[in-house]
Amino acid sequence: MAAFGQQGSPLDLAATPRMPRAREFRHVLGELSRLAGVRGGLIVSPDGLVVTADLPPRIPAEALAALAATLGRELEVGAQQLGREAFNTAFFSADDGAVFVGGSPIGFLVLVADASADPASVTHTLRRALSRLEGTWRGAHGG
Amino acid sequence: MGLRSLLEWAWSGISGALRSPSAAGLFRRADRLRHDGQYEEAERLVAEGLRRSPNSAAGHLLAAYLHLALREPGPAREAFEHALSLDPEHPRALLGLARLAIEESNLERARPYLERALQYHADFPEARALQEMIAGWAPLSVAAPAAGRPSTGVPERLRLLPGGRDLIMARADGVVVLAQGGQERQGQLAPHITQVSRIASTTLARAGLGALRRGVIESVSETTYLQTDVGLVLAITLPNSVAPGAGLAELARLWTELAREG
Repeated sequence: MAAFGQQGSPLDLAATPRMPRAREFRHVLGELSRLAGVRGGLIVSPDGLVVTADLPPRIPAEALAALAATLGRELEVGAQQLGREAFNTAFFSADDGAVFVGGSPIGFLVLVADASADPASVTHTLRRALSRLEGTWRGAHGG
Repeated sequence: MGLRSLLEWAWSGISGALRSPSAAGLFRRADRLRHDGQYEEAERLVAEGLRRSPNSAAGHLLAAYLHLALREPGPAREAFEHALSLDPEHPRALLGLARLAIEESNLERARPYLERALQYHADFPEARALQEMIAGWAPLSVAAPAAGRPSTGVPERLRLLPGGRDLIMARADGVVVLAQGGQERQGQLAPHITQVSRIASTTLARAGLGALRRGVIESVSETTYLQTDVGLVLAITLPNSVAPGAGLAELARLWTELAREG
Protein backbone atom coordinates (compact mmCIF):
# COMPACT_ATOMS: atom_id res chain seq x y z
CA MET A 1 0.00 0.00 0.00
CA ALA A 2 1.67 3.15 -1.16
CA ALA A 3 0.22 5.38 1.55
CA PHE A 4 1.77 3.22 4.24
CA GLY A 5 4.80 2.20 2.23
CA GLN A 6 5.91 5.80 2.00
CA GLN A 7 5.45 6.44 5.65
CA GLY A 8 6.71 3.30 7.28
CA SER A 9 5.60 -0.21 7.97
CA PRO A 10 2.00 -1.29 7.27
CA LEU A 11 1.32 -0.97 10.96
CA ASP A 12 2.81 2.48 11.35
CA LEU A 13 -0.45 3.54 12.90
CA ALA A 14 0.74 6.91 14.12
CA ALA A 15 1.63 8.06 10.63
CA THR A 16 -0.55 10.69 9.03
CA PRO A 17 -2.25 9.35 5.89
CA ARG A 18 -1.95 11.26 2.65
CA MET A 19 -5.17 12.70 1.22
CA PRO A 20 -4.20 13.27 -2.40
CA ARG A 21 -7.22 11.91 -4.16
CA ALA A 22 -10.17 14.00 -3.05
CA ARG A 23 -8.94 16.85 -5.19
CA GLU A 24 -8.52 14.52 -8.16
CA PHE A 25 -12.08 13.19 -7.74
CA ARG A 26 -13.47 16.74 -7.65
CA HIS A 27 -11.44 17.66 -10.71
CA VAL A 28 -12.69 14.66 -12.72
CA LEU A 29 -16.29 15.37 -11.76
CA GLY A 30 -15.92 19.08 -12.45
CA GLU A 31 -14.70 18.38 -15.98
CA LEU A 32 -17.60 16.02 -16.67
CA SER A 33 -20.10 18.53 -15.29
CA ARG A 34 -19.02 21.01 -17.94
CA LEU A 35 -20.05 18.71 -20.82
CA ALA A 36 -22.94 19.99 -22.93
CA GLY A 37 -26.24 19.00 -21.36
CA VAL A 38 -24.74 17.61 -18.15
CA ARG A 39 -26.30 19.25 -15.10
CA GLY A 40 -23.98 17.72 -12.57
CA GLY A 41 -22.99 14.50 -10.92
CA LEU A 42 -21.44 12.71 -8.02
CA ILE A 43 -19.05 9.95 -7.09
CA VAL A 44 -20.59 7.52 -4.63
CA SER A 45 -18.91 4.57 -2.95
CA PRO A 46 -20.64 1.16 -3.09
CA ASP A 47 -21.82 1.69 0.50
CA GLY A 48 -23.60 4.90 -0.49
CA LEU A 49 -21.06 7.44 0.78
CA VAL A 50 -20.98 10.62 -1.28
CA VAL A 51 -17.27 10.93 -2.10
CA THR A 52 -17.82 14.16 -3.98
CA ALA A 53 -20.84 15.83 -5.56
CA ASP A 54 -21.52 18.68 -7.92
CA LEU A 55 -25.29 18.77 -8.34
CA PRO A 56 -27.90 21.47 -8.80
CA PRO A 57 -29.37 22.43 -5.40
CA ARG A 58 -32.77 20.98 -6.22
CA ILE A 59 -31.32 17.46 -6.57
CA PRO A 60 -30.61 16.03 -3.09
CA ALA A 61 -27.16 14.44 -3.13
CA GLU A 62 -27.70 11.92 -0.31
CA ALA A 63 -30.93 10.54 -1.75
CA LEU A 64 -29.56 10.37 -5.28
CA ALA A 65 -26.38 8.72 -3.99
CA ALA A 66 -28.37 6.06 -2.14
CA LEU A 67 -30.31 5.23 -5.29
CA ALA A 68 -27.31 5.40 -7.61
CA ALA A 69 -25.23 3.13 -5.37
CA THR A 70 -28.12 0.65 -5.31
CA LEU A 71 -28.33 0.82 -9.10
CA GLY A 72 -24.58 0.43 -9.49
CA ARG A 73 -24.52 -2.58 -7.20
CA GLU A 74 -27.43 -4.19 -9.06
CA LEU A 75 -25.50 -3.77 -12.31
CA GLU A 76 -22.41 -5.33 -10.74
CA VAL A 77 -24.12 -8.18 -8.90
CA GLY A 78 -26.46 -8.96 -11.79
CA ALA A 79 -23.55 -9.24 -14.22
CA GLN A 80 -21.76 -11.62 -11.85
CA GLN A 81 -24.82 -13.80 -11.39
CA LEU A 82 -25.43 -13.96 -15.14
CA GLY A 83 -21.80 -14.80 -15.87
CA ARG A 84 -21.39 -11.59 -17.80
CA GLU A 85 -18.45 -9.21 -17.89
CA ALA A 86 -18.53 -6.36 -15.38
CA PHE A 87 -20.36 -3.31 -16.65
CA ASN A 88 -18.29 -0.27 -17.57
CA THR A 89 -20.89 2.35 -18.26
CA ALA A 90 -24.66 2.57 -18.43
CA PHE A 91 -27.16 5.22 -19.26
CA PHE A 92 -30.85 5.36 -18.60
CA SER A 93 -32.97 7.85 -20.45
CA ALA A 94 -36.32 9.44 -19.72
CA ASP A 95 -38.33 12.12 -21.51
CA ASP A 96 -36.49 14.99 -19.82
CA GLY A 97 -32.95 13.66 -19.63
CA ALA A 98 -30.74 10.79 -18.65
CA VAL A 99 -28.63 9.39 -15.85
CA PHE A 100 -25.21 7.99 -16.70
CA VAL A 101 -23.42 5.53 -14.39
CA GLY A 102 -19.81 4.40 -14.60
CA GLY A 103 -18.34 1.61 -12.48
CA SER A 104 -14.91 1.77 -10.87
CA PRO A 105 -13.10 0.20 -7.90
CA ILE A 106 -13.77 3.37 -5.91
CA GLY A 107 -17.49 3.22 -6.59
CA PHE A 108 -19.81 4.77 -9.12
CA LEU A 109 -19.46 7.95 -11.13
CA VAL A 110 -22.95 9.27 -11.78
CA LEU A 111 -23.96 12.08 -14.14
CA VAL A 112 -27.34 13.75 -14.47
CA ALA A 113 -28.01 15.19 -17.92
CA ASP A 114 -30.87 16.96 -19.64
CA ALA A 115 -32.42 15.87 -22.90
CA SER A 116 -29.93 17.91 -24.95
CA ALA A 117 -26.96 15.76 -23.88
CA ASP A 118 -25.48 13.49 -26.53
CA PRO A 119 -25.33 9.99 -24.98
CA ALA A 120 -22.46 8.84 -27.20
CA SER A 121 -20.33 11.86 -26.39
CA VAL A 122 -21.06 11.76 -22.65
CA THR A 123 -20.42 8.01 -22.51
CA HIS A 124 -17.12 8.42 -24.34
CA THR A 125 -15.96 11.12 -21.91
CA LEU A 126 -17.26 9.13 -18.95
CA ARG A 127 -15.15 6.15 -20.05
CA ARG A 128 -12.04 8.32 -20.13
CA ALA A 129 -12.83 9.72 -16.71
CA LEU A 130 -13.24 6.19 -15.34
CA SER A 131 -9.84 5.22 -16.71
CA ARG A 132 -8.39 8.22 -14.97
CA LEU A 133 -10.08 7.32 -11.68
CA GLU A 134 -8.85 3.77 -12.01
CA GLY A 135 -5.33 5.02 -12.70
CA THR A 136 -5.47 7.09 -9.53
CA TRP A 137 -6.77 4.08 -7.65
CA ARG A 138 -4.10 1.72 -8.97
CA GLY A 139 -1.37 4.29 -8.33
CA ALA A 140 -2.40 4.56 -4.71
CA HIS A 141 -2.62 0.76 -4.41
CA GLY A 142 0.74 0.08 -5.98
CA GLY A 143 -0.89 -1.67 -8.94
CA MET B 1 12.53 1.55 41.71
CA GLY B 2 15.01 4.42 41.45
CA LEU B 3 14.10 7.85 40.24
CA ARG B 4 15.83 7.27 36.90
CA SER B 5 13.99 3.98 36.32
CA LEU B 6 10.74 5.58 37.35
CA LEU B 7 11.23 8.43 34.88
CA GLU B 8 12.20 6.00 32.12
CA TRP B 9 9.13 3.89 32.83
CA ALA B 10 6.87 6.96 32.85
CA TRP B 11 8.41 8.30 29.64
CA SER B 12 8.08 4.93 27.98
CA GLY B 13 4.37 4.93 28.82
CA ILE B 14 3.87 8.48 27.57
CA SER B 15 5.78 7.98 24.33
CA GLY B 16 4.02 4.65 23.79
CA ALA B 17 0.67 6.38 24.16
CA LEU B 18 1.76 9.09 21.75
CA ARG B 19 2.91 6.49 19.22
CA SER B 20 -0.19 4.44 19.71
CA PRO B 21 -3.39 6.34 18.92
CA SER B 22 -6.66 5.41 20.58
CA ALA B 23 -9.25 3.21 18.87
CA ALA B 24 -11.37 6.32 18.32
CA GLY B 25 -8.41 8.02 16.68
CA LEU B 26 -7.86 5.03 14.41
CA PHE B 27 -11.52 5.02 13.41
CA ARG B 28 -11.40 8.74 12.64
CA ARG B 29 -8.38 8.25 10.42
CA ALA B 30 -9.92 5.23 8.79
CA ASP B 31 -13.02 7.25 7.99
CA ARG B 32 -10.89 9.94 6.38
CA LEU B 33 -9.18 7.28 4.27
CA ARG B 34 -12.59 5.89 3.35
CA HIS B 35 -13.65 9.31 2.11
CA ASP B 36 -10.49 9.29 0.01
CA GLY B 37 -11.33 5.90 -1.52
CA GLN B 38 -8.46 4.13 0.28
CA TYR B 39 -10.60 1.27 1.47
CA GLU B 40 -7.97 -1.38 2.14
CA GLU B 41 -5.81 0.96 4.18
CA ALA B 42 -8.86 2.09 6.09
CA GLU B 43 -9.86 -1.52 6.71
CA ARG B 44 -6.49 -2.22 8.29
CA LEU B 45 -6.86 0.70 10.69
CA VAL B 46 -10.39 -0.38 11.60
CA ALA B 47 -9.20 -3.93 12.31
CA GLU B 48 -6.54 -2.53 14.64
CA GLY B 49 -9.10 -0.21 16.26
CA LEU B 50 -11.49 -3.09 16.85
CA ARG B 51 -8.69 -5.14 18.34
CA ARG B 52 -8.27 -2.37 20.91
CA SER B 53 -11.97 -1.66 21.34
CA PRO B 54 -13.98 -4.72 20.25
CA ASN B 55 -17.30 -3.37 21.48
CA SER B 56 -17.27 -0.16 19.49
CA ALA B 57 -20.47 0.09 17.45
CA ALA B 58 -18.87 2.88 15.42
CA GLY B 59 -15.93 0.61 14.63
CA HIS B 60 -18.12 -2.27 13.48
CA LEU B 61 -20.20 0.15 11.41
CA LEU B 62 -17.08 1.46 9.73
CA ALA B 63 -15.91 -2.10 9.12
CA ALA B 64 -19.27 -2.84 7.48
CA TYR B 65 -19.00 0.19 5.21
CA LEU B 66 -15.53 -0.83 4.14
CA HIS B 67 -16.62 -4.40 3.40
CA LEU B 68 -19.38 -2.97 1.23
CA ALA B 69 -16.94 -0.65 -0.49
CA LEU B 70 -14.74 -3.68 -1.21
CA ARG B 71 -17.78 -5.61 -2.49
CA GLU B 72 -17.82 -8.10 0.40
CA PRO B 73 -21.52 -8.33 1.27
CA GLY B 74 -21.27 -11.32 3.63
CA PRO B 75 -18.71 -9.78 6.01
CA ALA B 76 -20.54 -6.44 5.66
CA ARG B 77 -23.76 -8.01 6.92
CA GLU B 78 -21.97 -9.58 9.88
CA ALA B 79 -20.39 -6.25 10.79
CA PHE B 80 -23.70 -4.37 10.49
CA GLU B 81 -25.38 -7.00 12.67
CA HIS B 82 -22.56 -6.72 15.20
CA ALA B 83 -23.00 -2.92 15.28
CA LEU B 84 -26.73 -3.39 15.72
CA SER B 85 -26.23 -5.86 18.57
CA LEU B 86 -24.26 -3.14 20.37
CA ASP B 87 -26.66 -0.33 19.47
CA PRO B 88 -30.06 -1.74 18.45
CA GLU B 89 -31.33 1.62 17.24
CA HIS B 90 -28.34 2.54 15.11
CA PRO B 91 -30.00 4.02 11.99
CA ARG B 92 -26.99 3.58 9.73
CA ALA B 93 -26.60 -0.08 10.65
CA LEU B 94 -30.30 -0.52 9.90
CA LEU B 95 -29.87 1.29 6.57
CA GLY B 96 -26.89 -0.90 5.71
CA LEU B 97 -28.84 -4.09 6.36
CA ALA B 98 -31.72 -2.73 4.28
CA ARG B 99 -29.36 -2.00 1.40
CA LEU B 100 -28.01 -5.56 1.52
CA ALA B 101 -31.54 -6.97 1.57
CA ILE B 102 -32.46 -4.86 -1.49
CA GLU B 103 -29.30 -6.10 -3.19
CA GLU B 104 -30.63 -9.63 -2.64
CA SER B 105 -34.10 -8.56 -3.89
CA ASN B 106 -35.44 -9.43 -0.44
CA LEU B 107 -37.97 -6.63 0.01
CA GLU B 108 -39.69 -8.28 2.96
CA ARG B 109 -36.45 -8.12 4.90
CA ALA B 110 -35.53 -4.60 3.72
CA ARG B 111 -38.79 -2.90 4.69
CA PRO B 112 -38.64 -3.37 8.50
CA TYR B 113 -35.02 -2.18 8.61
CA LEU B 114 -35.97 1.02 6.78
CA GLU B 115 -39.05 1.54 8.94
CA ARG B 116 -36.96 1.19 12.09
CA ALA B 117 -34.26 3.54 10.77
CA LEU B 118 -36.87 6.19 9.98
CA GLN B 119 -38.67 5.61 13.26
CA TYR B 120 -35.53 6.63 15.14
CA HIS B 121 -34.45 9.31 12.66
CA ALA B 122 -37.31 10.66 10.58
CA ASP B 123 -34.98 13.05 8.75
CA PHE B 124 -32.79 10.45 7.07
CA PRO B 125 -32.76 11.12 3.32
CA GLU B 126 -31.00 7.93 2.23
CA ALA B 127 -33.39 5.69 4.16
CA ARG B 128 -36.38 7.73 2.98
CA ALA B 129 -35.24 7.47 -0.66
CA LEU B 130 -34.88 3.68 -0.45
CA GLN B 131 -38.17 3.29 1.41
CA GLU B 132 -40.00 5.31 -1.23
CA MET B 133 -38.24 3.35 -3.97
CA ILE B 134 -39.42 -0.05 -2.78
CA ALA B 135 -42.83 1.11 -1.49
CA GLY B 136 -44.66 0.29 -4.69
CA TRP B 137 -42.64 -2.72 -5.72
CA ALA B 138 -44.33 -6.06 -6.01
CA PRO B 139 -42.23 -8.94 -4.68
CA LEU B 140 -40.23 -10.51 -7.47
CA SER B 141 -41.83 -13.73 -8.58
CA VAL B 142 -39.95 -16.84 -9.45
CA ALA B 143 -39.72 -16.25 -13.16
CA ALA B 144 -42.52 -18.48 -14.32
CA PRO B 145 -43.82 -17.53 -17.74
CA ALA B 146 -47.07 -15.64 -17.89
CA ALA B 147 -50.04 -17.64 -19.13
CA GLY B 148 -50.60 -17.84 -22.86
CA ARG B 149 -46.99 -17.17 -23.87
CA PRO B 150 -44.19 -19.51 -24.78
CA SER B 151 -41.35 -19.38 -22.28
CA THR B 152 -38.69 -20.55 -24.69
CA GLY B 153 -38.19 -20.48 -28.41
CA VAL B 154 -39.01 -17.14 -29.95
CA PRO B 155 -40.75 -16.69 -33.31
CA GLU B 156 -38.58 -16.25 -36.38
CA ARG B 157 -39.39 -12.55 -36.75
CA LEU B 158 -38.04 -11.98 -33.23
CA ARG B 159 -34.72 -13.60 -34.10
CA LEU B 160 -31.86 -11.38 -32.89
CA LEU B 161 -28.95 -9.95 -34.84
CA PRO B 162 -25.95 -12.33 -35.07
CA GLY B 163 -24.24 -12.66 -31.69
CA GLY B 164 -27.32 -11.41 -29.87
CA ARG B 165 -28.64 -13.22 -26.80
CA ASP B 166 -30.77 -13.03 -23.69
CA LEU B 167 -33.92 -11.65 -25.30
CA ILE B 168 -36.44 -11.25 -22.51
CA MET B 169 -39.69 -9.45 -21.87
CA ALA B 170 -40.82 -9.35 -18.25
CA ARG B 171 -43.52 -7.73 -16.19
CA ALA B 172 -42.79 -5.34 -13.33
CA ASP B 173 -43.02 -8.25 -10.87
CA GLY B 174 -40.38 -10.20 -12.78
CA VAL B 175 -42.76 -12.65 -14.42
CA VAL B 176 -41.41 -13.61 -17.83
CA VAL B 177 -43.70 -12.77 -20.73
CA LEU B 178 -41.37 -14.00 -23.43
CA ALA B 179 -37.77 -15.14 -23.43
CA GLN B 180 -35.01 -16.80 -25.32
CA GLY B 181 -33.05 -19.50 -23.52
CA GLY B 182 -33.76 -22.03 -20.81
CA GLN B 183 -35.78 -21.69 -17.64
CA GLU B 184 -32.70 -21.41 -15.46
CA ARG B 185 -31.32 -18.52 -17.48
CA GLN B 186 -34.70 -16.79 -17.46
CA GLY B 187 -34.88 -17.23 -13.71
CA GLN B 188 -31.66 -15.26 -13.34
CA LEU B 189 -32.28 -12.74 -16.09
CA ALA B 190 -35.83 -11.60 -15.33
CA PRO B 191 -35.24 -10.46 -11.71
CA HIS B 192 -32.09 -8.62 -12.71
CA ILE B 193 -33.65 -6.77 -15.64
CA THR B 194 -36.70 -5.95 -13.54
CA GLN B 195 -34.58 -4.65 -10.66
CA VAL B 196 -32.42 -2.53 -12.95
CA SER B 197 -35.45 -0.93 -14.58
CA ARG B 198 -37.14 -0.29 -11.21
CA ILE B 199 -34.08 1.29 -9.60
CA ALA B 200 -33.19 3.30 -12.71
CA SER B 201 -36.75 4.53 -12.94
CA THR B 202 -36.68 5.78 -9.34
CA THR B 203 -33.26 7.37 -9.85
CA LEU B 204 -34.45 9.26 -12.94
CA ALA B 205 -37.58 10.42 -11.13
CA ARG B 206 -35.53 11.59 -8.13
CA ALA B 207 -33.37 13.63 -10.52
CA GLY B 208 -36.56 15.18 -11.93
CA LEU B 209 -36.15 13.63 -15.38
CA GLY B 210 -39.32 11.54 -15.73
CA ALA B 211 -40.02 7.86 -16.24
CA LEU B 212 -37.47 5.39 -17.61
CA ARG B 213 -37.75 4.79 -21.35
CA ARG B 214 -34.50 3.14 -22.39
CA GLY B 215 -31.29 1.85 -20.93
CA VAL B 216 -27.92 0.90 -22.38
CA ILE B 217 -25.52 -1.13 -20.21
CA GLU B 218 -22.09 -1.55 -21.71
CA SER B 219 -19.29 -3.96 -20.85
CA VAL B 220 -16.06 -4.69 -22.70
CA SER B 221 -17.47 -6.90 -25.43
CA GLU B 222 -21.26 -6.66 -25.28
CA THR B 223 -24.06 -4.26 -24.48
CA THR B 224 -27.49 -4.82 -22.98
CA TYR B 225 -30.31 -2.64 -24.28
CA LEU B 226 -33.59 -2.28 -22.46
CA GLN B 227 -36.84 -0.48 -23.08
CA THR B 228 -39.81 -0.07 -20.75
CA ASP B 229 -43.41 0.88 -21.20
CA VAL B 230 -46.87 -0.08 -19.90
CA GLY B 231 -45.44 -2.09 -17.01
CA LEU B 232 -43.20 -4.23 -19.22
CA VAL B 233 -39.48 -4.30 -19.79
CA LEU B 234 -37.85 -5.70 -22.94
CA ALA B 235 -34.12 -6.40 -23.00
CA ILE B 236 -31.57 -7.84 -25.40
CA THR B 237 -27.80 -8.24 -25.30
CA LEU B 238 -25.75 -7.63 -28.42
CA PRO B 239 -22.03 -7.71 -29.21
CA ASN B 240 -20.25 -4.38 -29.24
CA SER B 241 -19.66 -4.79 -32.96
CA VAL B 242 -23.26 -3.56 -33.24
CA ALA B 243 -23.29 0.23 -32.91
CA PRO B 244 -25.45 1.61 -30.08
CA GLY B 245 -27.80 3.28 -32.56
CA ALA B 246 -28.32 -0.04 -34.37
CA GLY B 247 -28.81 -1.80 -31.03
CA LEU B 248 -31.53 0.61 -29.99
CA ALA B 249 -33.13 0.29 -33.43
CA GLU B 250 -33.13 -3.50 -33.05
CA LEU B 251 -34.79 -3.15 -29.66
CA ALA B 252 -37.43 -0.82 -31.11
CA ARG B 253 -38.08 -3.30 -33.93
CA LEU B 254 -38.62 -6.13 -31.47
CA TRP B 255 -40.90 -3.96 -29.34
CA THR B 256 -43.01 -3.12 -32.40
CA GLU B 257 -43.22 -6.78 -33.38
CA LEU B 258 -44.33 -7.75 -29.89
CA ALA B 259 -46.85 -4.92 -29.73
CA ARG B 260 -48.28 -6.06 -33.08
CA GLU B 261 -48.62 -9.53 -31.67
CA GLY B 262 -50.41 -8.06 -28.63
